Amino acid sequence: MERINELEAGGVATGELVRVDREKESVAQRTKRFERDALQYTDQLYAAALRYTKNSADAQDLVQDTYAKAFTSFHQFEPGTNLRAWMYRILTTTFINSYRKAQRSPKLSDGDLTDADLFASASHTSNLGKSAEVEALENLPDSDIKRALQEIPEEFRIAVYLVDVEGFSYKEVAEIVGVPAGTVMSRLHRGRKQLREKLAEYARELGYGAPVQKNGGES
Amino acid sequence: MTPELQCNCNDVMGSMLVFIDNEIDDSAQFNAIAFHLQDCPTCREAVEFERTQLNLIRSLLTRSCFETAPTELHDRIHSQLSALEAQIIAQQGFVAQTEIFTQYSRTEITVDGETQIIETTHEIRRDFPF
Repeated sequence: MERINELEAGGVATGELVRVDREKESVAQRTKRFERDALQYTDQLYAAALRYTKNSADAQDLVQDTYAKAFTSFHQFEPGTNLRAWMYRILTTTFINSYRKAQRSPKLSDGDLTDADLFASASHTSNLGKSAEVEALENLPDSDIKRALQEIPEEFRIAVYLVDVEGFSYKEVAEIVGVPAGTVMSRLHRGRKQLREKLAEYARELGYGAPVQKNGGES
Repeated sequence: MTPELQCNCNDVMGSMLVFIDNEIDDSAQFNAIAFHLQDCPTCREAVEFERTQLNLIRSLLTRSCFETAPTELHDRIHSQLSALEAQIIAQQGFVAQTEIFTQYSRTEITVDGETQIIETTHEIRRDFPF
């Protein structure tokens, strides 16, 4: 009946094999393993939680809840698989199921936009010159970048955050969020497009590039 | 060398974002795009522009979203872990003995007027809860 997982554990240098026998492990040993492997993600999870909930109090509660859930189901986590992605899945589903109720934005349809549509709009969103746009964006303060991210719809924001900040693949995000990879792709591309439009708008407000067109600008 | 699959500028534009994200699983499709890019300066330039934009946005996001969790949060997580650990140990102490189920069966066999009784007892041991 003995089952031994002889796999690389998260957080351990590649090539180093760690034996974890979950059936023989005591509660104290499991707690130690959890502390060693999972607590290193507190800052990252808190950063993500801040982008999800938009405020520090909710973000702290969300991360604390995430750790409580992760710890109580840690015996189900398969050692050697991606612990970071597992923690993000708990964080994200906890947020979607409980935290966003109070602050829920209208549900969006993912629509049937093709990549060609997305590209066609993505590359013509800004009328800044190429190098001017880069310079303008680089000079934006962090608060503007966070504001732009907060203003895009929640589903898009989560996809953009998980891929572009955390570096997860479409497939990993699909598992974290619980939607098909095609949906992740669509949310990601639309989210990036909206984000880019907002950033270009802020850059113009700061006086970079062409003047802001309040009405009747290109759409 | 010509790839098994050919594609034109429209195909490249259509798959550009997925290509830049390195998320094209189909190697024939990937090769077709790479092959087209070798020969088409317009598409190559478009891909490079998109890639630069994306890298810029990513570095801006990464820079501005960096956070350090408050000490208070670390403390809360630690005390919560101790509490949960104690709770699990307490639960284990309560039910944690080996449960033993006994199955008993009795069979009567009559052969040529003679009756034999076979009795069996099975013991099932189960460790609970972990």
